[in-house]
Amino acid sequence: MSKELHVIGKASRKVGVMQKVSGQTVYAGDISLPRMLYCKILRSIHPYARIKSIDSREAEALPGVMAVMNGKDSPKKFGIMLRRGDDEVLAIDKTRFVGDSVAAVAALDEETAEEALKLIHVDYEVLEPVMSIAEGTVPPNGEPIHDYAELGNIHKRVSLEFGEMEAGFAKADLIQEDIFYYEGNTHLAMEEHATVAHYEADGKLTIWSSTQNPHYLHKAVANVFDMPPSRIRIIAPPTGGGFGGKVDPLNHEMVVSKLSMMTGRPVKITLTREEVFYAHRGRHPVLMKVKTGVKKDGSITAMDFKSFLDGGGYGSLGVATVYYTGALQTVTYNIPNYKFQGARIVTNKPPCGPKRGHGTPQPRFAVEVQLDKIAEKLGINPLDIRLNHLTRPFTKTANHLSITTTGLRECIEAVEKRSNFREQYGNLPLGKGLGLACGSYITGAGFPIYWNEMPHSGVQIQIDRGGGVTVFCGSTDIGQGSDSVLAYIVAEELGVTVDDISIVTADTSLTPVDLGSYSSRVTLMTGNAAIDAARKLRTLLFETAAKEFGVPLESLDARDNVVFCPENENCSISFPDLVVKAESEHGTLGSVGSYAPPPSTLGGKYKGAGVGPTPAYTYSAAVVLVDVDLETAELKVEKIWIAHDVGKAINPLLVQGQVEGSVYMGLGEAMMEEQVFRRGLHKTPSLLDYKSPTFLETPDIETILIETNDPNGPYGAKEAGQGPLLPIMPAVANAVYDAVGVRIDEIPIHPQKIFKAMRDKEKGKEGRYGPKGVPEIPFPDPIRVESQWGQRADQESSR
Amino acid sequence: MRYEAPDSLDAATELLSSEPGVSRILAGGTDLLVQMHAGMTEPDLIVDIKKIPDLRAIVAEDSGFRIGAAVTGAEMGEHRELKSAWPGVVEAVELIGSTQIQGRATPGGNLCNASPAADSVPAMVAAGATVTVVGTEGTREIPVQEICTGPGQTSLKKGEIVVSFKLPARPSRSGDAYLRMTPRTEMDIAVVGVGVNLTMDQEGNCIDARVAIGAVAPTVLLVPEAAAALIGTKVDESALAELASAASAACRPIDDKRGTKKYRIKVAGVLAKRAAKIAVERAGQSL
Ligand SMILES: Cc1cc2nc3c(=O)[nH]c(=O)nc-3n(C[C@H](O)[C@H](O)[C@H](O)COP(=O)(O)OP(=O)(O)OC[C@H]3O[C@@H](n4cnc5c(N)ncnc54)[C@H](O)[C@@H]3O)c2cc1C
Repeated sequence: MSKELHVIGKASRKVGVMQKVSGQTVYAGDISLPRMLYCKILRSIHPYARIKSIDSREAEALPGVMAVMNGKDSPKKFGIMLRRGDDEVLAIDKTRFVGDSVAAVAALDEETAEEALKLIHVDYEVLEPVMSIAEGTVPPNGEPIHDYAELGNIHKRVSLEFGEMEAGFAKADLIQEDIFYYEGNTHLAMEEHATVAHYEADGKLTIWSSTQNPHYLHKAVANVFDMPPSRIRIIAPPTGGGFGGKVDPLNHEMVVSKLSMMTGRPVKITLTREEVFYAHRGRHPVLMKVKTGVKKDGSITAMDFKSFLDGGGYGSLGVATVYYTGALQTVTYNIPNYKFQGARIVTNKPPCGPKRGHGTPQPRFAVEVQLDKIAEKLGINPLDIRLNHLTRPFTKTANHLSITTTGLRECIEAVEKRSNFREQYGNLPLGKGLGLACGSYITGAGFPIYWNEMPHSGVQIQIDRGGGVTVFCGSTDIGQGSDSVLAYIVAEELGVTVDDISIVTADTSLTPVDLGSYSSRVTLMTGNAAIDAARKLRTLLFETAAKEFGVPLESLDARDNVVFCPENENCSISFPDLVVKAESEHGTLGSVGSYAPPPSTLGGKYKGAGVGPTPAYTYSAAVVLVDVDLETAELKVEKIWIAHDVGKAINPLLVQGQVEGSVYMGLGEAMMEEQVFRRGLHKTPSLLDYKSPTFLETPDIETILIETNDPNGPYGAKEAGQGPLLPIMPAVANAVYDAVGVRIDEIPIHPQKIFKAMRDKEKGKEGRYGPKGVPEIPFPDPIRVESQWGQRADQESSR
Repeated sequence: MRYEAPDSLDAATELLSSEPGVSRILAGGTDLLVQMHAGMTEPDLIVDIKKIPDLRAIVAEDSGFRIGAAVTGAEMGEHRELKSAWPGVVEAVELIGSTQIQGRATPGGNLCNASPAADSVPAMVAAGATVTVVGTEGTREIPVQEICTGPGQTSLKKGEIVVSFKLPARPSRSGDAYLRMTPRTEMDIAVVGVGVNLTMDQEGNCIDARVAIGAVAPTVLLVPEAAAALIGTKVDESALAELASAASAACRPIDDKRGTKKYRIKVAGVLAKRAAKIAVERAGQSL
């Protein structure tokens, strides 16, 4: 469509933001219902223990306590993987980390509920915990943490091979092997999770919850309580940040539902910040071994990538995470032959799951740092080793992923230009350094979490007789601006102003399904569904107007609440007037639209091919300027230039916000954040102790948006919420090397690590800090698939 | 739990000493309330000392300053004369927490909470500050470094209150400085903190010095060997190098989440050097 755009592409205010800044937004934690009870959860003090008995008689007798429950009261398991889920509503017979849920109380107020927890007596048999990847890969001393684990405590092993590895390595002039470690960290959304459940006398259950995924929660709740989904309504009020931490259905949501059923009253829980650290589902710690063969010109002949993930106590989306640590290495640079082996290990720590970038920041860190090491050995500038070997648009990768548009070249060139990288790299004074890195991410997973052929996103539009437009969609605004995207698109298509639009989202009884706010899928998928719905309605309205004016439908345009014919001044009608005429002609006005990714983008047929495909990949490149104190090794990031190929910025201001937010989060991961434990105990479960940057550590960020107009995106748009995080961590590591000549092959890059590497280097040892080995575990024989690297990827419109 | 806010010292010491259960003094509450919230302490009696006038004043006295123990960090930062005489002490107090914390946090609380990493303590010790302690059995005046006996432990007896800090009169050409190392700029606890206070003569020789280090031992350390490395020198590179090794040598740190032993030892030396340079510069300006 070559129509001029009036709303799309313009910087404008976010929908709902005035309510947020004035304190009017009603979050889940603000909801209060008459007769509401408050829930508190008793948590395990042992990393691993069997529950021999729970005596809650004293708690039940405490005045003000209305119900006490434990795992036996609701024994069915659940999880984001649905039928394969291993989450328990409350521990059934074992607790698997410090903070795991054991029992719950509903009382008239929070204080009484807390008091009652002290009166619940749990008799534990303490079991031998598994606290590390290494411990989890050897046959356990005690019993495995989960029955489904293989070889002790291994949750999942993956082994895939694309192309001819031996031949690939044989062609290489240099074979580089490195081992990297990426420590776990958590989301740190500002809003702690809150849920209110209300089970009413007609047998219907309504849940208001801070969730990114009302649809999957809907399915999980139905499953746990064996209830028809038609009796359950999930509402996600505006969510105060998610970053992946509210993707999984979580046990507190089930607990308050059950307590509401037991008491016939609404029940509410708000997790404390400490409990949020236990609910976790954050970044997996990953140990990686990368072997890459390159020719003298830096072209990669083969890559063999191994990853070992520390999963924590439960499965979460971990199976997908393992695959993601191997999926997207291939989409940035040409890798004709590729092998991936990954294993997720269960340990007695809070469960890891999806966090911004889901399973891809860790391997991206490894690939980008290794590439710099290779470039140095070959005497190639870090820019060129990337620029000379970029994947091409509309081609496939070794592992059968279809690339549509790629703006990686423009991204690299843009940050090069602003930072003057080519001249400055290697030439700054000792202590100052520049680092370059790139990344790529999916714009929405090609497949839903459970197999089905239905749309991934649905939008419904209704028009009232005054000209107001209401847009219904299951999508969930977690702060990223998905409500805004719906409003802008419908405003653009119908020619009304954004202020005339009401958005109703994330309510399973009112809104068509959208799968949820994960995998950076929302702008592309709800956007396309919204266009689909809006254009149907636009046609209806324009038909009426065309008839009225006696002009062809194609000659009409609409903007600012007026439908008009640009060629004929006399043909003009206000949107409300047109609505009245159209409703008189057609009857009630409304339309629906839906979207599912086009089959051509859905990847290969091999087992595991479901992780990685997407309608469109985004690309980013960043250059980071650091200062390393030569005596104390203190690390300061002084400036960041980042370019992101967003396809098309629906609202450039919101995209910039997403990019800057990603940079900020990436810096936290790069420099300080870590989820670490001592004897099973989380060391820093508070905002004071868990070190995350403040704005004092956040440098000047220059954001450059690259627009490649992807044929699969609405108006050409791709994602912006996760991709820009990816280059930050490796760029910092590469900059530290440029500054002081030491390699930190481990995230986070604490000053002590730089300090140690600098001292080692002074003593003539290798100036490197990082892991030295990976566990030897038997991987199954790889599934061998022919490489599709470089093949043409078909273009086709969405189904 | 009982809360009392008496307006006299006598009433406060009386309340504290007659309480049979656990009693705690409340100043800004930025340590105490956090500890209570975390369930680390459950006092039966809380005595808020902020209503006692003596504890809330900064007064010039004997050419030095007397600072009430319950004066806030923000108030110290806004006191122009104090800041120009003791820039190191004031900058240490101003490093505590953040702007919000500064509005509540007090030097008395920072000292009596007895964290080895308390920021104002090394600066106070380097300054040669003393504290006035009042209890039912009378008043005593002791050096700041005699208050803390170990992490979370003080030499204060039941019912005793730290009333004020006394910063001594300042010879001309004196300067002090406090530097700390933290992984993030604000809202963080020192990995190492070093306070240096010195006096120079007209020829540019250091004639007096005190060096104190925090976060590297169970209590803040006053390090005479480090001071000795400066006294009698022009605080040149070789004196600074000796200062650094003396400071490092005094450290007895633990490995913990905030820093490894080796790292803390090295950084203590570096910070001592840098703080001494700043102190010399300030001494030059304080003619
Ligand atoms: C977010 C945050 C950040 C922080 N950052 C820092 C930091 O950067 N550096 C740092 O050093 N500290 C930091 N702290 C700790 C704290 O703010 C300081 O130790 C502060 O100086 C304590 O003063 P207060 O008046 O709030 O003490 P309170 O909490 O009122 O008291 C602390 C302890 O001292 C006792 N006490 C108080 N006054 C007296 C008195 N006059 N006589 C006898 N006993 C007394 C109390 O009973 C209590 O045990 C931080 C705290 C928070 C919450």
